[in-house]
Amino acid sequence: MAQPVIELNNVSKRYRLRRGWHVKSIRDEVERLAKRLIMRGAPTRDDFWALKDVTFALEKGEVLGLVGRNGAGKSTLLKILSHVTVPTTGSFVARGRLGALIEIGAGFHPELTGRENVFLNGSIMGMSRREVQEKFDRIVAFAEIERFIDTPIKHYSSGQQMRLGFSVAAHVDPEILLIDEILAVGDASFQAKCLNKLAELKEDDKTIILVSHNLSNITDYAKRVVWLDGGSVRMIGESNEVVDAYLEHVTSDGVTGEAKSTESTFDPDRDLAIGEVVVRNRDEVVQDRFDRGETVLIDVSYAARRAMPGAVFVVSIQDLHGYPLGGIATDPDSMKVNAAVEQGVLRLKLDPILFTKGAYTLSVHAMDPVTKRYYDIRRRAARILVDGHRATSREASGHIHYPHQWEHIR
Amino acid sequence: MLEAIRNTWRHRDLIVSFTLRDIKARYKQTGLGVTWAIVQPLSMMVVFTLVFSVFAKVPSDGLPYPIFAYSGLIFWTFFANSLTGGTLAMVANSPLIRKIYFPRETLLVSVLLASTFDLGIALLLFAAMFLYYKVALTITVLWMFPLLALQMLLTLGVTGLSSAAHVNYRDIGHALPLLTQLWMFATPVAYPIRVIPEWLKPLYMLNPMAPIIDGYRRAFLLGQAPDLPALAVSAAITVALSALALAVFKRAELTFADVI
Repeated sequence: MAQPVIELNNVSKRYRLRRGWHVKSIRDEVERLAKRLIMRGAPTRDDFWALKDVTFALEKGEVLGLVGRNGAGKSTLLKILSHVTVPTTGSFVARGRLGALIEIGAGFHPELTGRENVFLNGSIMGMSRREVQEKFDRIVAFAEIERFIDTPIKHYSSGQQMRLGFSVAAHVDPEILLIDEILAVGDASFQAKCLNKLAELKEDDKTIILVSHNLSNITDYAKRVVWLDGGSVRMIGESNEVVDAYLEHVTSDGVTGEAKSTESTFDPDRDLAIGEVVVRNRDEVVQDRFDRGETVLIDVSYAARRAMPGAVFVVSIQDLHGYPLGGIATDPDSMKVNAAVEQGVLRLKLDPILFTKGAYTLSVHAMDPVTKRYYDIRRRAARILVDGHRATSREASGHIHYPHQWEHIR
Repeated sequence: MLEAIRNTWRHRDLIVSFTLRDIKARYKQTGLGVTWAIVQPLSMMVVFTLVFSVFAKVPSDGLPYPIFAYSGLIFWTFFANSLTGGTLAMVANSPLIRKIYFPRETLLVSVLLASTFDLGIALLLFAAMFLYYKVALTITVLWMFPLLALQMLLTLGVTGLSSAAHVNYRDIGHALPLLTQLWMFATPVAYPIRVIPEWLKPLYMLNPMAPIIDGYRRAFLLGQAPDLPALAVSAAITVALSALALAVFKRAELTFADVI
């Protein structure tokens, strides 16, 4: 088998919190030296390991996804992969010309024209000026900036700047490509172009490392995924498997556990407090994994200090990014909740569940419909994972699988 | 050292791009444009003529003081500007350094080349002064090229050290204008070298810029070769400094992105 194109062996990266993140002055340095002399041997500052023992290899033509929360070490890893910084320990080898769709347009100078900046940015990314010349028309056409190419870039909109930056980077023609948040650029039609470009690069047998918060992009393009957590590789493997595990981890965070005692979650100072939110299947068995079309029961327990006949409960559903997908309230259904002093449990039945594959979180709040005052809010109180053979993937984009029929009518 | 030269050559296109950026960006949205490259040494010349020639009667080797001063000033300005630009280059380009890898020394070379462009502009006025003061040029003017080469290597050596230091210690940026000023007065820019007392001369000539600036003046105005023994010392210091700078810079470069 051919040599791997990218090889990382026990790569770790340390940042020195006090020294590295502030600009040093000679005075600080003298102070530090003095301190070190006095307290000999004692560690003088906090070290922060942004990466710990990261090991993986990539074959030519492979697309690897990289997932992890903010601060998990993704950016640091990309910096090492792009040679911007070096690992503190461990070894890293990349064989082949490397291109990065990261921080595109970083090399732009606002006073220069688009044309001048294309040449500047192209050579910063490792193209020769002749190469830029040859690709110039394609770069400009891809960015859709033909009209403004001889205007100083400071007059561009931020979208135009990003498009031009992306376009230059996409035409570098590297063997290894690092891509960070490909869809953060431009409007929908430009995003579609970016995705097509990505598919094209993949077909050209480029080795690609893809970072995205949009997990369906990751599963669509990457065969393997690395999940970084706190600087270490938490999991590496087949992309659906890793992404599912990652999703499960992310959404389970902050969710009230079933084992938790109900009483303890009530706040006695509130007029009305929401307690546990439990998801069950049609047989009332606690469960959070469902196939599309199944029945979901959402049980919301609450406690109130006094009777509040007007209180409205809302269960809202969000996707992984917290984007609201819909709220279901008690009041338009004229379901009067007789909140009493004692606890109660309210059941919402979703039948059938129409979501596409993925993880969803549930938030519950109770409010006074007149004053709009919130009695209580439980964010991410529970979650639902949609999975199984009937569940459609998110290829067509969007979260809802509508009940539908197709037919030829003409 | 050879490897460094080869590597720099490999990235010549990048250097060209950075140089063009520096030159173009410098004169965009200015009324005077490239004329600014002349304004700086010219106004210094006027001030120096007033202070050193009219008020203080500093000797000028029998030459009209303005052209005497200007011959030192243009090359000193070239040195001072590339020194300042080079020292600040890493921090000035920190968004790039933090995000994209490219050999960082290309920034130093580009600063130097962009200043060379300004030198070229300033030399145009120099030529005009030759006509005005009717000073004859001789073949010794060709010494300009080895002198320029030496000066450029010295600039790269100093900025290699100072730019790397500036990334870590911003004190450098504050001290720089002062140090450049002091250095100029320790160099025969405004006065001829022969006003230096004999006892001080060995020390004085350790300044590698001293025989270089003196050399330009001899080559352009006096029809003489530079003071070769002194120049040899300067060259030795320059080579040693650049070798040290290269080693330090390449090592420091690895963590620029972390500390900048």
